[in-house]
Amino acid sequence: MHLYLKLLSGSLRSRMQYKMNFLISSLSYALIMAVDFILLAAILQRFDDVKGWNLYEVGLLYGISSVAITLYRVFGVEIHNFERYMVEGEFDSLLIRPVSPLSLLLTKNLDLSRIGGTLQGVIILIISIIGLHEKSVDTFFLILYLPVSILSGVVICFSLGLLTATIAFWTQRIKDFQTFTLYAPFNAANYPMNIYPGWLKLIFFTVIPVGFMNYTPVLFLLNKGGDLWNLLLPPAVAFVFLFIAYRFWQFGIRHYHSTGS
Amino acid sequence: MIVADHLNKHFKIYETKKGLMGSMTSLFSAKHQVVKAVNEISFKIEEGEFVGYIGPNGAGKSTTIKMLSGILHPTAGYVEVGGVSPQKRRKEVAKKIGIVFGQRTQLWWDLPLRDSFDILKEMYKVPDAKYQHFLKLYDDMLQIGNFMNTPVRKLSLGQRMRGDLAAAMIHDPDVLFLDEPTIGLDVNAKTSIRSFLKEMNEKEKKTILLTTHDMDDIEQLCSRVIVINHGQIVLDGTLTELRKNIGLPSVMEVQYRTKPEIGDMVMDGIEKMRWEEEKLVLQYDRSVLSSPSLLQEVTKWGEPIDIQMKEPDIEEVIRKIY
Amino acid sequence: MVYWILLQKSFLRNMQYKIAHLINNAASAIFGFVFIAIWVGVLEGKDQNSPYNVMEMTYYIAAVQCILWISGFLTAGLNIQNGVRNGAISLELVRPTNFFLYVTSQEAGRLIYNFFFRTIPIGLVFALTVGFYVPQKGTTYLFLCISIFLAIIISINLHYLVGISACWTTEIDWAHFVNFTLLVALGGQFVPIDFLPAPLSTLTQYLPFAGAIYYPVMILLEKISYDVILLQLLWAVVLTLFNLWLTEKARQKLEIQGG
Repeated sequence: MHLYLKLLSGSLRSRMQYKMNFLISSLSYALIMAVDFILLAAILQRFDDVKGWNLYEVGLLYGISSVAITLYRVFGVEIHNFERYMVEGEFDSLLIRPVSPLSLLLTKNLDLSRIGGTLQGVIILIISIIGLHEKSVDTFFLILYLPVSILSGVVICFSLGLLTATIAFWTQRIKDFQTFTLYAPFNAANYPMNIYPGWLKLIFFTVIPVGFMNYTPVLFLLNKGGDLWNLLLPPAVAFVFLFIAYRFWQFGIRHYHSTGS
Repeated sequence: MIVADHLNKHFKIYETKKGLMGSMTSLFSAKHQVVKAVNEISFKIEEGEFVGYIGPNGAGKSTTIKMLSGILHPTAGYVEVGGVSPQKRRKEVAKKIGIVFGQRTQLWWDLPLRDSFDILKEMYKVPDAKYQHFLKLYDDMLQIGNFMNTPVRKLSLGQRMRGDLAAAMIHDPDVLFLDEPTIGLDVNAKTSIRSFLKEMNEKEKKTILLTTHDMDDIEQLCSRVIVINHGQIVLDGTLTELRKNIGLPSVMEVQYRTKPEIGDMVMDGIEKMRWEEEKLVLQYDRSVLSSPSLLQEVTKWGEPIDIQMKEPDIEEVIRKIY
Repeated sequence: MVYWILLQKSFLRNMQYKIAHLINNAASAIFGFVFIAIWVGVLEGKDQNSPYNVMEMTYYIAAVQCILWISGFLTAGLNIQNGVRNGAISLELVRPTNFFLYVTSQEAGRLIYNFFFRTIPIGLVFALTVGFYVPQKGTTYLFLCISIFLAIIISINLHYLVGISACWTTEIDWAHFVNFTLLVALGGQFVPIDFLPAPLSTLTQYLPFAGAIYYPVMILLEKISYDVILLQLLWAVVLTLFNLWLTEKARQKLEIQGG
């Protein structure tokens, strides 16, 4: 734990050497995400709802999904950029330490410029909850459950990131895979799953289980269907998925031990 | 301290075919070549030995070091460092060893040097008193104090290498693996690093395995030399044995204003003499014939306009073993 | 012709990454399906209040996903910033070749590659699944080519502008993000610009971003007058002249300060 704090404070200080740059890039990440949501708001202003989901309801899904992926981008930056370790052969220097490579990666760096995106997701969540409250929807349990939903989302996102990073042990490069395993699914999870055709739904509830983090619980909490199971499934799926991702990662490391880069 | 027993490391090299279909099929086809990067290598290094591990590029030096440190697992054979198998208990071995890769720093690039030490202290759980002691010791010997607060990316290559060495030893490991620690350094930095290593070996009884292309490193530091080529050991013995086997020829190149008159009496220690274009190239054994006395001799032969000293090339040495 | 050679080399360099790009194409198509699904969800049963019905909106999104690869997803700053960082730009600026053409022709090679290995395959995926609009009038094809050509010139210039600004700011990450966001948002990537709220939708029609994505797509769908090409042409000329002027300024600045 002490080590973790040391590493984090180090990472913080190395970032702060470029203050101005840091500030501007945080703002521009937030701007991108804000523009995206404003466009959605503009459409829903005009057409009321997407298959029965109004703006504030979609906002809940949107907020959870974007907070989850941006938190992953903040804390999992070295996992996300893992291909560098393969392409430049830097993975060796992780294997000479008395600490596991995964903990080294997790503590090596923080990408704080992504915090802007997290903040923006939180603001969308607040606006949505206030909006729902004014429409006299009971938001008590919703607010209570939100941290569980976000945490499940972060874990699912981290697991997907780790699975994708592990592919690099065989392919070296993973940037193109990430569009497929992270960007596209999380963009899809901004909206209710019932709008998608069956085969896409199947993907989002199995191999890339992004549907569980927000759609499943919010469906029940907004009285749109489902039962109490909808609240238990997200953390359960998240931890099973994390376990699978971790085992795959270990398999990847064993492969690296036998082949090198 | 270090045991390698019939160590093997084979790599499969897959053929990649050209074109879209080719690259698709090569993903699935099992057509490959086996390259024996390390082939039946056995040696035993005792505590306090200083061993030079030399060979041409691609001979299998780095692969061996990677297996000793637990980065790679051997295809066949057995490794042990400090009585523990790095393959089975990598983290335990990691605490016993210190590694320096000359080509690549292990310090935190954007942070001041001191922060890297602080992080490593936590990582290896070094007690405070011990940590302060070693920090002071390495500062005395390597003079890293002057740039402790400079970010690593702003250090010169020599400063960075001294920092890297101290960082690799902050947890007081018994064994040191050094992969080309003097590469690209100037004479001053080399001298400082060599005297540090010598002292670490003699006073602290560290076991050191060093790969290098610099024959001076070997001559000044190593009591024992292991030469490998094509993944196999071609010579394992003391420095004197290596010298006896092949000599360690130093080279002097002399350019004369006019054609010199070389006497019939060739001095003892001169092993070879040949003309390369306008230059006279002399190979000599420095343990028999000192450079100043050779210099004196060559000026007797004619009026030199340019004299260059060259250290023997490792590739040349390996060639001579065959 | 040196620019032609640069263009070819850049095309061939991209050829090496075909498999990775194929996977990326699948992701790009999924992005398209997601956008289409949202629009279907929004428009179902409400077609009458909308200038686009479900089918038209599907065609719109499919066409946008294809054209994005030739006028949307360009190299950040056209890599000019790398040259500024390592100082190579001083050399490149004094070469006898025109720096603007030197940089843009390399990007053009990449875009031609993208056209064959991204735009066409993604278009085929849409054609086989949700349908792809085929223009009815012969003249549309001619004007479509002109419009796409101008769209590429506009987008290359916008990215060049971001890249060359590195001579003054060294860091361009944020500028690229802002430029890219404006390009996709005001270019109509997800929402056709006539759907935007009132003052914004009028303003956006006259900005260069619409010329990079929205207008060529609308010409393909035969939902707009060919006149918009004149607006694209105007932006293409203005941006090119401005960038040439800026390049000259950058050269002067580097000559004085020595990089």
